[in-house]
Amino acid sequence: MTLTGKRILMGNEAIAFGAMKAGLQIASGYPGTPSSEVMETIISHAKEYGIYAEWATNEKVALETAVGAAYSGANAIVTMKQVGLNVASDPLMSLSYIGVKGSLVILVSDDPGPHSSQTEQDTRAFGHFSNIPVLDPSTPQEAYDMAKLAFKLSHELETPVILRTTTRVSHGCADVIIEDIDPVPRDIEGFVKDTRWTIFPKLTAQRHPLLEELQVKMSDRFSEYFTDNSFNSITKGSSNIGIAASGVSSLYVQEAIKDHPGTFSFFKTATAYPFPEKAALDFMKGISDLIVVEELDPYMEEQFLQIAGRHHLTINIHGKKDGSFSFSGEYDVDVVIDGINRALDKTGSKTCRFSHSIAAIKAEDIPSLPIRAPTLCAGCMHRTVFYGFKKAAAKMRSKTGVDSVFSGDIGCYTLGNARPLNMVNTCLCMGAGISIAAGLSHTQEFGNGLNAKQVAFIGDSTFFHSGIAAVVSAVYNNANITIAVLDNRTTAMTGHQPHPGIGITAMGSPAKMIDIAEVLKSCGVGMVKTIEADDLDKCMDIATEAMKFEGPSAVVFKGKCVAICKGTGQYIVDEDKCTGCKLCISQLGCPAIFSIPSGLPVIQDTCSGCGLCAQICPSDAIVLKEVSQ
Amino acid sequence: MKFDILIAGVGGQGVVLASRLLATAAMDAGFHVATAETIGMAQREGSVTSHVRIGDDVCGSLIPQGKADLLIGLEPAETARNLLFLGKDGNMVVNEHAIMPSTQGCDEYDPEMILDFLKSSCPGTITADFTELAKDAGTYKAANVAMIAAAAGAGLLPFSTEYLWGVLEKMIPEKYRDVNRRVFDRAIESVSGNNRKVINKD
Ligand code: SF4
Ligand code: SF4
Repeated sequence: MTLTGKRILMGNEAIAFGAMKAGLQIASGYPGTPSSEVMETIISHAKEYGIYAEWATNEKVALETAVGAAYSGANAIVTMKQVGLNVASDPLMSLSYIGVKGSLVILVSDDPGPHSSQTEQDTRAFGHFSNIPVLDPSTPQEAYDMAKLAFKLSHELETPVILRTTTRVSHGCADVIIEDIDPVPRDIEGFVKDTRWTIFPKLTAQRHPLLEELQVKMSDRFSEYFTDNSFNSITKGSSNIGIAASGVSSLYVQEAIKDHPGTFSFFKTATAYPFPEKAALDFMKGISDLIVVEELDPYMEEQFLQIAGRHHLTINIHGKKDGSFSFSGEYDVDVVIDGINRALDKTGSKTCRFSHSIAAIKAEDIPSLPIRAPTLCAGCMHRTVFYGFKKAAAKMRSKTGVDSVFSGDIGCYTLGNARPLNMVNTCLCMGAGISIAAGLSHTQEFGNGLNAKQVAFIGDSTFFHSGIAAVVSAVYNNANITIAVLDNRTTAMTGHQPHPGIGITAMGSPAKMIDIAEVLKSCGVGMVKTIEADDLDKCMDIATEAMKFEGPSAVVFKGKCVAICKGTGQYIVDEDKCTGCKLCISQLGCPAIFSIPSGLPVIQDTCSGCGLCAQICPSDAIVLKEVSQ
Repeated sequence: MKFDILIAGVGGQGVVLASRLLATAAMDAGFHVATAETIGMAQREGSVTSHVRIGDDVCGSLIPQGKADLLIGLEPAETARNLLFLGKDGNMVVNEHAIMPSTQGCDEYDPEMILDFLKSSCPGTITADFTELAKDAGTYKAANVAMIAAAAGAGLLPFSTEYLWGVLEKMIPEKYRDVNRRVFDRAIESVSGNNRKVINKD
């Protein structure tokens, strides 16, 4: 395929093209917003370029798979989001000691904001922690170019390289200049047995000094990039105030200071770790005040502070630590303008201040607006299961005085927390719902002294990711919990990737299907049932049965994700029968149903025909719409 | 040249597709582009915005407040929510079709009031029920296409409608092409009464 030229690409797509241009052979990943499209793009071109690509069950497995490939001399990539790197951190920490043959790029997407993550963590810190170089591109074009650079560095230095992006790079689109991909088959040398691949205290002791030497070497190389590499640059300004930024923040700074060209010295780096100390030291000379602009951790700021301390420089460093910038949240030009102004005030300098553009309207003039929290799609199977458990639990409480606690997990079904369902009482990280429920079950009392039944919800992909080990532990330790597996046969939240329960691989070939119910049984769960999640009464009955069961019980609820399956019709409200009780609105939170303030409920075109509302309407007023021919 | 467009709507309305269409058309017309889109959790009926920046300067993909030249609002409340982004001389194209938040009924949302507010705060605002227009032409789902066509038809974009249709033709699967063409044409027709403005910014 001819690619050479300008194409409009998402940062994640650009990374995939850069990796393929660099000679990628093996790719593994676990989906996670905002990283998933890197693998998606590789998968869609895999056959064309002779690449092997797979979705692994979790990030640790994905990394280890890519490591195996790299040990054989292959060019490999592994992709994940920032919280996924926590899962993969165990092999990561050892891997930096061992190094790789071939090349290994670890693509990790951070999510300042956060837009769709449990944390705002900073992967640059992980690079520092694990001694693995981190590249931090600011645009899709840089992401493309740095993907190629990452493979090159990894190969030359025999170390894994982290390519770290943030949401605005991963999910931003831009015109990117890319090149044709080499169709020549690239041979993989193959695994060569050597003691270097077996980590052992003795090897660790030998390797650690070399690893430390490598850090210095890499830092020096990244300093050289300021003269011969466009990713890093230093611009001298007329004042003695400097600004430093990395990644996407450097663009916000450039835009913020555009009206005062030549005033500030500007240090822009895309090589986050090891920090280019020599270049930084050069830059700091002659500057009295340095403003550091970076999202998430004060990582660069700390580097500058150390250098200043070590070299006894009289320089004031402004950033997060002196309160000029916030530690949390995503940055943009407006945030950066305010931060720089705060820092400038601290310098006491008379140099310019920056102003915001004037908007068409003042913030205080905007009338109050409805809150629009994300919610489960109209027709999502999860709503039926959550509502079934809610009803079953309410009945159990009134009959037996036993209350229920619902532990959620990570996926679309985290949205079970939304009003009016309110069905997520705990949510921590992938797979934790089951273990937290188990932990809670070992505490005698709950709330005001009532006994409680612990229920854990987990999705199918999450079950394979890290749910199974939690089930084994719960069974082994006699936890009295009920596990509800919400099996819609896809990884819905991240864009519908396949997983081991589906029987198809990333590349589209058939695979052995792993039956979740059978896994649960073989783990020793006492009661395991499977039902279709379309009938509310059946869901309620089985929820009651599972919650009454003493010891670990599980129900696999099978259904479909309406985002990828066609709807089965639409319901309407029969106005003659409707009493206006609004149960259908107040109980379910289905986005297809709304009521005009004083009138009857209206079902919108987004209805996909799940019929849950029809099942709860006490007046049988919700009926299937006749399809006009 | 620098032209910033903010598209605002609700998850499921096709905000991301609209921004892709605009960005690709702008690139075809010879401009640099950068977009920032919301993908992920907010897709599920939450507020969604997409920033499309067109022009030669290298910039981040997020439009600063008060800088947008055009605000395309696929839903009244979401338009108002993003009004701070609109520059003093900016324009708006707003869909009158309201989407009620599901969770707690809609007593706190009066779309008429919001629409009046929008019209009074930016007198040149083009409003129409683009969802109804698209539905009439074949599918309510093409309201996003109707709105960008209307913006182009009203002369509010820095490139001609031909570029936009060129991209649609490439991006939309063949079986949906006719209905989208109908939506496209009707939307342009619907604004043909508006004063066509020529954009000539430096
Ligand atoms: S995308 Fe699928 S799983 Fe997610 S909320 Fe919508 S229907 Fe449910
Ligand atoms: S639950 Fe039935 S009767 Fe009550 S408002 Fe809804 S449609 Fe009308």
